[in-house]
Amino acid sequence: MKSRSIRNLLLIAQREYLATVKSKAFIISLVLAPLFMGGSIIAMVLFQDKVDTRDKKIAIIDSTGQIAPAIIEKADHRNANNITDKEGKQNKPAYLFHIVEAATEELEETRLELSDDVRNRKLFGFVEIADSILSTDPKVSKETPVRFYSKNPSLDDLRGWIRGPINDAIRGIHLSELGIDKNEVGYLFEWHRVDGMKLVEADESGKAKDAEKANELAAFGIPVAMLFIMFIMVMMGAMPLLNSVMEEKNQHIAETILCSVTPFQFMLGKVLGGVAVSLTGSAFYITMSVLLFGNMGFMGYIPFELIPWFLVYLIGAIMLMGSMMAAIGSACADAKEAQNYTFPAMLPIMVPMFVLSVIIKEPMSGFATTLSLIPPFTPMLMMLRQSMPGGVPMWQPMVGLAGLFIFTVITVWVGSRIFRVGILMKGKTPSFSTMMKWAIKG
Amino acid sequence: MDAISINQITKTFSNQKAVDNLSLAIPSESIYGFIGPNGSGKTTTLRMILSIIYPDSGSIELFGQPTSGSLRDDIGYLPEERGLYNKMKVGELIRFFGKLKNTDDLDKKIDYWLERFDLLDWKNKKIDALSKGMSQKVQFIASIISSPKIVILDEPFSGLDPVNAETMRSAVIDLQKQGTTIVFSTHDMGTAEKMCDRIFMIYQGKKVLDGTLAEIQERYGSDTLKVRMTSGEVSMQTLPGIEKITDYGREQDLRLSPGTDTQEILNKLISIGRVERFEIVKPSLHDIFVRIANPEKE
Repeated sequence: MKSRSIRNLLLIAQREYLATVKSKAFIISLVLAPLFMGGSIIAMVLFQDKVDTRDKKIAIIDSTGQIAPAIIEKADHRNANNITDKEGKQNKPAYLFHIVEAATEELEETRLELSDDVRNRKLFGFVEIADSILSTDPKVSKETPVRFYSKNPSLDDLRGWIRGPINDAIRGIHLSELGIDKNEVGYLFEWHRVDGMKLVEADESGKAKDAEKANELAAFGIPVAMLFIMFIMVMMGAMPLLNSVMEEKNQHIAETILCSVTPFQFMLGKVLGGVAVSLTGSAFYITMSVLLFGNMGFMGYIPFELIPWFLVYLIGAIMLMGSMMAAIGSACADAKEAQNYTFPAMLPIMVPMFVLSVIIKEPMSGFATTLSLIPPFTPMLMMLRQSMPGGVPMWQPMVGLAGLFIFTVITVWVGSRIFRVGILMKGKTPSFSTMMKWAIKG
Repeated sequence: MDAISINQITKTFSNQKAVDNLSLAIPSESIYGFIGPNGSGKTTTLRMILSIIYPDSGSIELFGQPTSGSLRDDIGYLPEERGLYNKMKVGELIRFFGKLKNTDDLDKKIDYWLERFDLLDWKNKKIDALSKGMSQKVQFIASIISSPKIVILDEPFSGLDPVNAETMRSAVIDLQKQGTTIVFSTHDMGTAEKMCDRIFMIYQGKKVLDGTLAEIQERYGSDTLKVRMTSGEVSMQTLPGIEKITDYGREQDLRLSPGTDTQEILNKLISIGRVERFEIVKPSLHDIFVRIANPEKE
């Protein structure tokens, strides 16, 4: 490219960059975007104690006649010891169980009466325990032997809590039938956690080092944070190009600029400006992370070795998304019509967010590997997989990067051909097939 | 040497010829007026000169060379539909456009032009704080800040009050005196008549007029009578040899059929009332424009 072209390309990029980073919106987004992204997690931590502490009255229909007393005993113990914080302030509701007697033939009527009590707020809910729960005969159906009825049974903490006392009571009853005193075998009722450990490595002398516990922050927190930062950076670097190009088109600024630069230089300059914006944002977040983690003594968690990969993927993602946004902006008459094209164009960053939980659970699965090698998804998904403990084989990021490079070049080319026609076009927004015609025929 | 040579260019959009086999030579240091009705191909032609779009066939040369990237720096352009970056400051914006054209001595030029257009106090204000007229002047400055060899102005005076229009007109004349070739497109025939060395008219993509005002008028001959009667509006429908009457209220333009005896018309008018003005003139550019662009109503 000639020096004049490079000069003008850089001038367009510089203007785009300065117009974005000098705006208050950029600074506010830089600070607020992570808060919004992590808002639900922060809210959960901040408001975890903000629960309804009113007593919860629960009825029990116990057909076995043996389990309900054990539940009431456990509930009383919980109410006495586990519903206040260190300062003695109640932070959980008390569970107040009472037994309701009901003969088998009266069960349906009793259920209806208790349901009405729940609806009338006399009760919080009721539990029904079938006598089949104590059967040791494998032929006896044990389908739903315990049922919990309430207005919102799916999300209730009580449903989770009651599982423990019921199962402990059943084990106790069976032990008793076998002539074993439950209190003598208390160890049978203990639950043990399983610690995740990293693979053992050898020290300098070749001896095995002590194994390190796997850390959840490293396993999930860092990969998810990197994915979110890339998402935010793409939103800040590429998405504004849509409105920026529409403004230049609709306010007739583009024509003046196009007498100095080619449409390709114009679009590429704007996309490079978007890249610079995202790199600035990334530099801000990396610096803030280093300062924050350094102060907290967690510097070791920052994956410095992945930062170059992050930046390369980010540049690819902005070039890819930015070209698409610029092309859409050039073709659309107004923001409302642009929305029709914006959603499909955002799939490269939306799909990785949709499959985040699946990939985190099985980062080496065939699904995760295949999806991360599809070029539009490579920047976010390969980054996510690389940043998880164990990483990925080196060939995968290399192949992913090559695919991303080829796909980005094609997208920039197609985008520039749409841009060159669309930016001077007036009237209604063209259909997708018309845009493709522009891309193919010019 | 011609500043711009257009050689048999054709441009088609969706099977419709916007410009059809057009050739034109625009001499250096001249003011060349482009006229034509809306949609006739003016802006398409200007865009092709600017290399914003390219002809399907034919060629365009600037100063004898095919249009290229570096030659773009020699052209300034003020488009008809104006727009500026609203959030940029006046000085920043002119600097941006100046840099795109590789302008030297930019600070001095910016101050000179802002002062000339009485905008120096607005240098550090944002564009969205300016009035429409001020924005138009800023855009004009942005188009000529690089001291280009060719300036293309599309409707430069539209929307300006008489004072600002005069300031801009004087700047355009000064640029020409300094050796700049001016191409301007306008619907204001009066301005075109007064300012342009040569006038080109395009209609339905084809060249229909090209020459000096005198040459163009010569083609039509002295076929127009300017008449003003003391009694104001008088019915002239019965006058002999009149092809068309254009009534301006106090005054009427009468277009004569070939061979019409003007003395006979004068006698008739005297018999109707007192004649204040009776002048045989060549048709105005406005009249010629209307004759070409609206022949069915003639």
